[in-house]
Amino acid sequence: MTHTGDVAALYDELIVGRSRQPQFNGHLENPQATGEGRNPLCGDKTRVEIGIEEYHISAVRHVTRGCAICLAAADLMAERVTGLKKAEALTVAQKFSAMLVGDESHSSSGMEETELGILTIFSPLQSHRARIRCAELPWVALKEALSHVDI
Amino acid sequence: MSADQVIKTHAAFNSQHIREQFPILKETVHGRPLVFLDSGASAQKPASVIDSMVHTMRTQYANVHRGLHWMSERATEACEAVRDQVAAFLNAPSRDEIIFTKNSTEAINLVAYSFGALLKPGQAVVISEMEHHANLVPWQLLRDRAGIELRVAPITDDGDLNLTALQALLADGKVALVAITHMSNVLGTVTPAKQIADIAHAAGAQVLFDGSQFAVHRKTDVQDIGADFYVFTGHKLYGPTGIGVLWGRSELLNAMPPFMGGGDMISTVSFERSEWAALPYKFEAGTPAIVEIVGLGAAISWVEAIGMEAITAHEAQLTGYALKRLADVPGLRVIGKPKDRGGVISFVMDDVHPHDMATLLDRNGIAIRAGHHCAEPLIRRLGLTATARASFGVYTTEEDIDALADTLIKIRDFFV
Repeated sequence: MTHTGDVAALYDELIVGRSRQPQFNGHLENPQATGEGRNPLCGDKTRVEIGIEEYHISAVRHVTRGCAICLAAADLMAERVTGLKKAEALTVAQKFSAMLVGDESHSSSGMEETELGILTIFSPLQSHRARIRCAELPWVALKEALSHVDI
Repeated sequence: MSADQVIKTHAAFNSQHIREQFPILKETVHGRPLVFLDSGASAQKPASVIDSMVHTMRTQYANVHRGLHWMSERATEACEAVRDQVAAFLNAPSRDEIIFTKNSTEAINLVAYSFGALLKPGQAVVISEMEHHANLVPWQLLRDRAGIELRVAPITDDGDLNLTALQALLADGKVALVAITHMSNVLGTVTPAKQIADIAHAAGAQVLFDGSQFAVHRKTDVQDIGADFYVFTGHKLYGPTGIGVLWGRSELLNAMPPFMGGGDMISTVSFERSEWAALPYKFEAGTPAIVEIVGLGAAISWVEAIGMEAITAHEAQLTGYALKRLADVPGLRVIGKPKDRGGVISFVMDDVHPHDMATLLDRNGIAIRAGHHCAEPLIRRLGLTATARASFGVYTTEEDIDALADTLIKIRDFFV
């Protein structure tokens, strides 16, 4: 299409793909905790359920009603934090937020790359500031869910 | 519309000449010419409005109604001349019934507060399902403060006001005020104001119209429609932000207590008590938006020089053209099919969220609005969470609409 390069980057194939066919949507049978994120400006809503096993996040599922960015962010977040400890997941959340606002201290050095991993595909949001909330919504829900577990 | 008719409409209207008067339309966005289809949120400003405000600040600025000096007199004259202009613009019976406010929201809050102060528990206010939050939340606040009832008149699935249901809501004679939009900012629905006023009056209720959208697109005549209150805002009428208007019948305004206290709204003040100034000043506490009032006057002059009829015809033709072009976009659904639609069209697209549409359109220089348009209950009533909205102004062209439709087709291809 006739858009400029950064939109092609924002709507990366993986983002569009995950928004259309999420891999972590739905419910857990026995979630240990749940959290919700709502964006009153656009009506987007995401509900995140987490399972905990042996001090780790063993599973994440989400039910998300939102735009492509929000849906893909929820799905890739679920993928990224599965298997992490609570503190690790919160660190990733912090780095993700920092990346979105272009905080250089958290920019992708080799270390950061491993920590944010696939989530760096959201970095073009730096130039779409109005959409940052879309990507952060699932993380709001995750943080709420994590606040209910003591691990 | 045939090609001949289109050319004729254009010739009479002279779109090019109009566009040249808007400096911002020469700007580019992401390297592309600006296609501005968000006038329903706020319209762009012609040079005459910008110049009038700069001229005021450069050559005839002082506070109004206070100074016994030349500059203050000039500023006062300029502001009061705009009050006359607004009275004529609305065909109000008296200039003293024109109250300057910050915007439509403040005007409605003024009525909710001051007219609301006259209401007793057990009385009711009726709004409709298609109100902007500005004509909903002030009434909820009044309900909770004064113990009145807030009733909501339903709309039809096509997006028209259900007049039979409205009548039924008024049947018990408890309704003191019907407050309804004159044109929906989401559906574009132009409501039958005269009929609504008749229904309200027959049940002993007053009627307020939110003209924020309507006053920009059509000739407003508060006497002809039988309104008791009417509000609109300057910034959607090609004027500046920070200036809106409340018109109310003087009988009602006189009976209402002041909204805010301060300078300008009193006649005598002692430490024990104060007496209110006469209309309109009773409702204009503090230094008004002097420069913005002048800008509003320039905007009204500018609109009237083109002629509201010509603007209405231009926008009706564009709206028809847009509905035709959007019908060809795969997966796109226009929301509502009101009997009478102004230049506002909301739509959704299968598999593409309105925010994604808005971002991709923006990168092509096309500005639309996406979200719930400050009308969350309406969006829910329509079974949606958000829509995309294109809204037209006096400078909108068929080329703008072509750009919108062509890009939407590409966006759909991109996602599906």
